[in-house]
Amino acid sequence: MTGMIGTRSASFILALMVAAPAATQEADNVVALRVSDTDRYDPQRSTALAAAEVLYMVGETLVTLDHDLKTVRPGLAERWEVSPDGLTYTFHLRRDVSFCDAKPFTAKAVVGTMDRWLDPDFPGVSKWKAGKVESVKALDDYTVEYRLKQPYSELLYQMTQFNFIIIDPDQATALKDDFGVAAFNGTGPFCFQSWTPRTETVLTRHEAYRWGPAFMTNSGPAKVGRIVWKIVPEEATLAAALQTGEGDVSFAVPPWALAQLQSAPSMQLLRPQAGFRTHYIGMKITRPDLTDRRVREALSLAVDQAAIADAIFFGEAEAAHAYYSKQARDFNPQMNLDAFGYDPERAKSLLDEAGWIAQADGTRMKDGNPLSLVFYGFTSESERQMAEAVQGDLRKIGVELKVELYDPTIVWGKLKTQDFDLYQMSYPYLSAGEAMNLYFLSSNMPTPNRMNWADPKTDQLIDAGNRAITPDARYAAFAEAGAIIHDAVLWKPLVNENLVVVAGPRLKPFKPHGVSGAPLYNGLDLELAK
Amino acid sequence: MNTKASVPHPTKSAGSARSGLFRRLARDPVALVALLFLIVIVAAAVLAPLLAPFDPYDTNLRMRLRPPGGDHLLGTDTQGRDLLTRLLFGARTTLALGFASIMVGSLIGTSIGLAAAFYRRLEGPLMRLVDIMLSFPSILFGLALAAMLGVGMESLVIALGLSTAPPIARVARATATTVMQTEYMDGGRVIGLSDATLIRRYLLRNCAAPIVVYCSLQFGETILLAAALGFLGLGLQPPIAELGSIAAEGRSFIFLAPHVSTAASLLIFTIVLSCNLLGDAFRDLTDPRLLP
Amino acid sequence: MTQQLFWRLLTSIPVLLGVLLVGFLMLQVIPTDPATIIAGPSGTAAEIEAIRHQLGLDAPIWMQFWLYLLRVLHGDLGRSIINNAPVASELATALGPTIELMVASLIWAVPLGILLGTLAAMRRGQVFDRSVTALSVAGVSVPAFWVGLLLLQFAAFRWQLFPLQGRGGPLWTLNGLHHVALPALTLGIIFVGPVARMTRTAVVEVLGADFIRTARAKGASEFRVITRHALRTALIPVVTLIGLQIGSLLGGAVIAETIFGWPGIGRLAVGSIVSSDFPMAQGCILVLACGFIMVNFLVDALYGILDPRIRSRIR
Repeated sequence: MTGMIGTRSASFILALMVAAPAATQEADNVVALRVSDTDRYDPQRSTALAAAEVLYMVGETLVTLDHDLKTVRPGLAERWEVSPDGLTYTFHLRRDVSFCDAKPFTAKAVVGTMDRWLDPDFPGVSKWKAGKVESVKALDDYTVEYRLKQPYSELLYQMTQFNFIIIDPDQATALKDDFGVAAFNGTGPFCFQSWTPRTETVLTRHEAYRWGPAFMTNSGPAKVGRIVWKIVPEEATLAAALQTGEGDVSFAVPPWALAQLQSAPSMQLLRPQAGFRTHYIGMKITRPDLTDRRVREALSLAVDQAAIADAIFFGEAEAAHAYYSKQARDFNPQMNLDAFGYDPERAKSLLDEAGWIAQADGTRMKDGNPLSLVFYGFTSESERQMAEAVQGDLRKIGVELKVELYDPTIVWGKLKTQDFDLYQMSYPYLSAGEAMNLYFLSSNMPTPNRMNWADPKTDQLIDAGNRAITPDARYAAFAEAGAIIHDAVLWKPLVNENLVVVAGPRLKPFKPHGVSGAPLYNGLDLELAK
Repeated sequence: MNTKASVPHPTKSAGSARSGLFRRLARDPVALVALLFLIVIVAAAVLAPLLAPFDPYDTNLRMRLRPPGGDHLLGTDTQGRDLLTRLLFGARTTLALGFASIMVGSLIGTSIGLAAAFYRRLEGPLMRLVDIMLSFPSILFGLALAAMLGVGMESLVIALGLSTAPPIARVARATATTVMQTEYMDGGRVIGLSDATLIRRYLLRNCAAPIVVYCSLQFGETILLAAALGFLGLGLQPPIAELGSIAAEGRSFIFLAPHVSTAASLLIFTIVLSCNLLGDAFRDLTDPRLLP
Repeated sequence: MTQQLFWRLLTSIPVLLGVLLVGFLMLQVIPTDPATIIAGPSGTAAEIEAIRHQLGLDAPIWMQFWLYLLRVLHGDLGRSIINNAPVASELATALGPTIELMVASLIWAVPLGILLGTLAAMRRGQVFDRSVTALSVAGVSVPAFWVGLLLLQFAAFRWQLFPLQGRGGPLWTLNGLHHVALPALTLGIIFVGPVARMTRTAVVEVLGADFIRTARAKGASEFRVITRHALRTALIPVVTLIGLQIGSLLGGAVIAETIFGWPGIGRLAVGSIVSSDFPMAQGCILVLACGFIMVNFLVDALYGILDPRIRSRIR
């Protein structure tokens, strides 16, 4: 066809003209590839993972999390004390830290960051992560007192998250809406240089940086001069770009491409020690057909999550049988998880028991109505494939699934409504407690508690877990709450996705970090192979 | 194409003109092949439930992305469904979508065009409206409408129909304006026929042929547009098979299992090609002057 | 002539206003609340309400349109809901690459189409003529995304002749050309066919005209007859065609930009419509419509320059 003729002649001409290889890269540059861009780089106004990836490099938190995702380590605070009543946290800050613009880092920045975030008039996000804050005060230039109205056992854990990254409050005041868009002044190992939305974000080395956390191999300054975060919207193209050398590193490689990349000798597949991201199907229990627990259990038993892990994730995920990973803090190993296996025969008999009788054509009817459910999901490739697989599995037990997929940006609005029976999602977390606080409190209806799970006992136990001052009391409360919500069959857990970082031949092997799904973390350990 | 421009246009009674048209069509081997191919495709699409070797919705993840050969003549798709079956059902959906959209488009377009020609006062505003609709690239128009109306067969038909309507309106107005200048329109007015009767009996009847020919020319383009929307992710919701979405679904795997998107794209290409070849032949055989 | 062009310019104002209104209303009806997008996955009801108020989304619709109009007149198109960047500057950054891509596509597709069409007209009825006709029908029938995918799969990935995606710099640099090649091929292919056909028809018609016969009788060479006399006249319908096809060129740009990650306005438009980024989508529609109107206007003006005989016939 015309296409091929044109291709040959044009490529011939250009091949003559272009002596340089397809990928030309500057010597001290690392190109990281990702699929989507962020809304802005403001730690207190962004929820996007794409913001976290960059913010961890340009900014820092008071406390950090070790590679096991369980041990809290010093960050901008070199040590801290917690009062016996669990209400007052005193942080002692490092004295050798400075911002990218050379301004010294002091308690003023911490107080400014928290005050701005928690100001009721400020359109900040994820404020619940800060707990019920009484006040955040500077006792002197290098001591901060964080006072709570009630104990919050998850606080130190949460403070390792990117929302707690300390900003330069003066810059935020001066730039207003352009803060985190035009500029960002932080204390991280890299400095924000420029952001071209939908194209790239460029970071340069923070030359004065010497205060990296102890669990990183390198404590500073960074070994690479520049990091360019490039957007490649197509997953397939992104995978191909790593192979052709147009990019050096990415953790947004689609699962199907991993097997292919693994066989390429120059490619490195690196996995963090721990990292929690679980894909699940949520069930709205207030919808007429889903009030019956037997129906929910039948739906759960009909879906073959092992096939999803093997086929859609090409083995780069493990089949999940609980709402959060067994390795997450406060997971209760005594819970009964029988409802989350794969057993289509038992699913069918449960539906029979619940009065949904199979018709000649295989559909299930009760009182003249077919068992037909509305399912909301995401348009992104792996999510779409999972939705179709779930749809196919449910069809085999006679349940019709009306799948409606939405762009990741609009799906949140859709999920706020009461118009669907099932929804699909994946979420990163640090602990069982965090998962429960987010999803299973009745006060979080209609979103993110989209199941409408309103159970006083669960609320009470989660609250007790939050207020607990000793680890044992915290575990006891969260473990019991976990057993209750699992027994009710509110979700069908699908898979725990492995975070895999793919690095090209230009990079030395390094140890990725599992925090918040941002495995390059602060970028200190990135180093070019000579 | 215009080598045949000297062909006299059929002005005699409709019956003999039509038979002559088909006789001439029979002499054009390319058009004939295109016609036969389309007949086969349409038949296969209509009879898909009988012809398809497998259930189009039966997923089996453990059998996904198998290459062509063996039990599955064309291999399997991302969910392990038989690709040949999916393509048959996909062609069914796509053709139905194209047909329904053209119907909607011609209904809207013809109404606007005839109204503009018949009621002179309306001509300015109506044609400006058409200009506005035309100044949106049809793909964006379709995208915006599909986003606005939600995804589904109905909204896709409306979106595609609305984006084919403006050029049809132009053709209808051009034809109708010439018809308006003929004597029998004045005659009809004189004997006191109502506007509705005049439009229905005379205007529409005399404009029908060029509009139908133009619509047949637009059919291929509408299918391409539908496929492009499906490709951009605004097609129909799963598990419905539609050729554009099948091509898009295979897109992520073009480096791993190119057969899925290639087969779907090739099928779209041959359908549209046949439509266009046939449309060209039709255009050459009818009066070319009224068409843009 | 100037007066007619001026009149035409004047009538585009209501069209533009209409475009603004339609674009505004169209995106107003989308059943999505931008505030929930901003609030993200874990946004609470109170957070969403605060954001709604901040964006002015709680004002009545006509008020919102009026304010929007006023702002547009001041060159302020608002800020993107998704990434908070000013729409006007985003559009300005995206417009360049799209124009670049279109130029890069037309620059090879139009001359090639004219060449093929002229040669076909000179060899009317021969195998070459038939092949050109067949190729041009094939060209308009092939789904643009398939061409793009094939190029991506073979030229960029298998053979690694070209980069997979992105823009490499201005057109006149090697890197820029290298990057634009594949998207420009994808986009240009849909153009070769129609241009070739139109040229062929026009040249065939012109070759039968009196003034050509005169030129031939005077002993001018066939090459001279074609280039000097026939093509000049034949170019008029070709220019018209390009004007008419600018819409489909933009449509093709959407596909080519999506496949090759070209940072242009087509990709921006699709992305913003799909993600309900109202201000950005409105801005894209406005710019695209303006472009369309302007090109048509230019085509009208070009008419007169190309053929003095029809100067008086412009609508």
